[in-house]
Amino acid sequence: MRARLLIAGTAAALAAAVLALGGTFRHGAVEDARGALPTAIAAELQKGFAAGDTQAEIAGLQGEVRADPTNTKALDTLGLAYLQRVRETGDPTYYGKADGILHDALRIAPNDLIATAGLGQLALSRHRFRTALALGLRARKISPTTAGVYGVIGDAELELGRYRQAFRAFDRMGAIKPDVASYARVSYARELIGHTGDAERAMALAASAAVGEREASSWTHVQLGLLYLNSGRAQRALVEMRHALQLFPDYYLALDGMAQAQVGLGHLATARTYEQAAVDRVPLPQYVGLLGDLDRSLGKAVAARREYALIGVIEKLLAANGVRNDLDVALFDADHGIGLPHALELARRGYAERPSIVGDDVLAWALARNGRCKEAVRWSDRALRLGTKDPLKLFHRGWIAACLGDRAGARTYYGRAFVLNPNFSVLWAPTARKGTS
Amino acid sequence: MKKLVFALLAAAVVAVAGLAVARSSGPSSATASSHREAPLIAQDPTADNTDLYAFVSPDKPSTATIIANWIPGEDPAAGPNYYTFSPTARYDIYADTNGDGNPDVTWQFRFVNLPSQFFLGNTQQRYTVTKIVDGKSTVVGSGLMTPPDNIGPRSTPNYDALAAKGIQSLSDGSTVFAGQRDDPFFADVGAIFDLVAIRSGTGANGGGKDFLAGYAVHSIALQVPKSMLDNGNDHVVGVWAATDRQQVTVAHGKAQTKWVQVSRLGNPLINEVIIPTDKKDYWNSTSPAQDSQFKSDYTNPILAAVLEKLYPQFGPFQQSGRSDLTEVLLTGIPKLNYTGAKLADELRLNLSVAPTAADKVNRLGVIAGDNAGYPNGRRLGDDVIDIDERVVAGELIGHKLPLGDGVDANDVPYLASFPYVAAPFSGYDDTHGLTQKTG
Repeated sequence: MRARLLIAGTAAALAAAVLALGGTFRHGAVEDARGALPTAIAAELQKGFAAGDTQAEIAGLQGEVRADPTNTKALDTLGLAYLQRVRETGDPTYYGKADGILHDALRIAPNDLIATAGLGQLALSRHRFRTALALGLRARKISPTTAGVYGVIGDAELELGRYRQAFRAFDRMGAIKPDVASYARVSYARELIGHTGDAERAMALAASAAVGEREASSWTHVQLGLLYLNSGRAQRALVEMRHALQLFPDYYLALDGMAQAQVGLGHLATARTYEQAAVDRVPLPQYVGLLGDLDRSLGKAVAARREYALIGVIEKLLAANGVRNDLDVALFDADHGIGLPHALELARRGYAERPSIVGDDVLAWALARNGRCKEAVRWSDRALRLGTKDPLKLFHRGWIAACLGDRAGARTYYGRAFVLNPNFSVLWAPTARKGTS
Repeated sequence: MKKLVFALLAAAVVAVAGLAVARSSGPSSATASSHREAPLIAQDPTADNTDLYAFVSPDKPSTATIIANWIPGEDPAAGPNYYTFSPTARYDIYADTNGDGNPDVTWQFRFVNLPSQFFLGNTQQRYTVTKIVDGKSTVVGSGLMTPPDNIGPRSTPNYDALAAKGIQSLSDGSTVFAGQRDDPFFADVGAIFDLVAIRSGTGANGGGKDFLAGYAVHSIALQVPKSMLDNGNDHVVGVWAATDRQQVTVAHGKAQTKWVQVSRLGNPLINEVIIPTDKKDYWNSTSPAQDSQFKSDYTNPILAAVLEKLYPQFGPFQQSGRSDLTEVLLTGIPKLNYTGAKLADELRLNLSVAPTAADKVNRLGVIAGDNAGYPNGRRLGDDVIDIDERVVAGELIGHKLPLGDGVDANDVPYLASFPYVAAPFSGYDDTHGLTQKTG
């Protein structure tokens, strides 16, 4: 109940702030807007889902930093604690705080490993992958034997579309330290190249190495569930999501995972309940998007419109806090037929920042939705070049084929998507179904 | 003692390792463009060595006992997140009998979950012990069982009797126990982590808070005939414990068999206090035979500089050229447990030193004249926090300070016989976070 109040309150306050600023946020302005929140709601937002330790921890560390502003260990820890808070609350204003504090640490100790890698992590979170790569490489210079720096490097390379380099970084990471972090990355790399069974094995190792860590543990089971869900095993996905929720009830990632598994089984109303719960915890744009799509499918047009509107506000808030989310916005707009020429512009800009198969796919989709299907083919093929078994990307390719009058091609791609997950998208699976009949 | 770090959620000292678990979105969600991230701080508790003990068994002096602990800070009431040894890790105990830093006797432990694990809260595991001597592997125990975790009087009634069944024999004449136990370690973690802050005065007067009271760990305890470890000359054996995990690579999806060491522990506090952040992963992957490369981290200890900064009134603290520390931690103390010039972080136990009678034991061990205690091996009750703080402050080089964290003993008594470590608190009447009596 309080969570619902929170999201309503937050959304309202954010909407008000957007209006007040004429739709453009300046850095810092959001915090001013936050000040206008009723205290009770602001306090809720501060609380987050974790044991509450982070909040107390932050207060303690702030005290330490006040007592000794040159205490790099306290600065480092505080920076990471702020990043953890974003995870717990979804509140992106902590990005700026982390940024500032970690830079303070670097000013005092330019070769501080944690501050350097922490800033790399922050850059990844903000989808600034070139910056993240540079920071990862700097961290590697400071400590070539620390596994975590290869995580920053590999993640950045991956989003820049440099897969060979990314996989090499992940292999190095796993050679230094097999643990949940390196196992999960190897799993993802294997998933990208279409080796689903191998990806499952690595993620099972990650799950095993995460035992005793509540969030990591639950997270690995969500990932396993998603692997099952998109390889034709929705029922097994459901079991994993249940396990994830048992390990960490109320974990928003697990609630969202459960919603996705329910969609996979065609249980849209149940899916809606879980997605609403996820949004109540942490209103990530993709969650609100799925909720809107579910409401639309369930005939709740008004609710869907409200949710779609909220996404715009959240995306603006993210952008105001340094997150580059052009591709996310482009995909959402292209999916929902909102300002299609602008969506294409965003996709191109997003692609320049993130020339990965994600960029390829969103660009292809935005081109196609603008009726430029001939141009889209090339990008859609690129999006599939690793052999990734992703029903949505396959659907996009099929839709483009249909758009070009290639009905047989469309049927083939749609068929491949359906084998992986007959309910791969609330929005588009029905379209694909019509295209194959 | 990685629990020093565990105790804090945002443990920066190790966080860089767990940091950046970020993972991009799985390619298949409905909104595939968002960059999904894995947990920021993900340690690997089941692979984390917390403490290691080695002593001549007080009730059975013809044997030596080695106890290695894993999984810091097990909260007895953490269900359904129960704790077990990791079935995908390999647990090692090593013994070096000739001082060259390489293992002469190795015990490897592999655990298997039983069906119905987790959902029914069944935490019992089956395990196998393999012993390696001179490169030859022998299975010395299979089909062994751990007791279940102490869940509560309904799930695990008569816990002491259940746990006693966990004491089993190996085919080489040793005795083994593996399973959940009360954490025998005691420390004012909050104060230590706050840079060896000392709660009252210089800390020797009690009044500290035992942050580990009521928490459990998973122990592997071995009781072996001394003759198995005694070289017949100086009678000193060096022991350490480690954990390995299997390496995986992107391209080779099939079962991997290459083990990579992810954690090790000989003397207490080395990873936390001596090894700098940017070397921690590497140090954890190396073996004692390779320790000479870390020599300067011992001779110029960060902790001495920290003490100097925090307590200038007690200074000066010698911050470099600390050969006294390499002696205690890397070669052994002459005439007590010296093993030669080879630098290797091992817990060195002179098997010929008789156990001190219970009423004569001094928690400060060798520095208080009790040669059967740390750093000659380590007994459960040895107060290594106080000993280390004093030694780093300069106890052995004429700079004696009564430093300490104010916690002088464990919250519950140890057992008088094997496995010595006390039964864990049950989840049902969990009482962790007790405050130590002043004493």
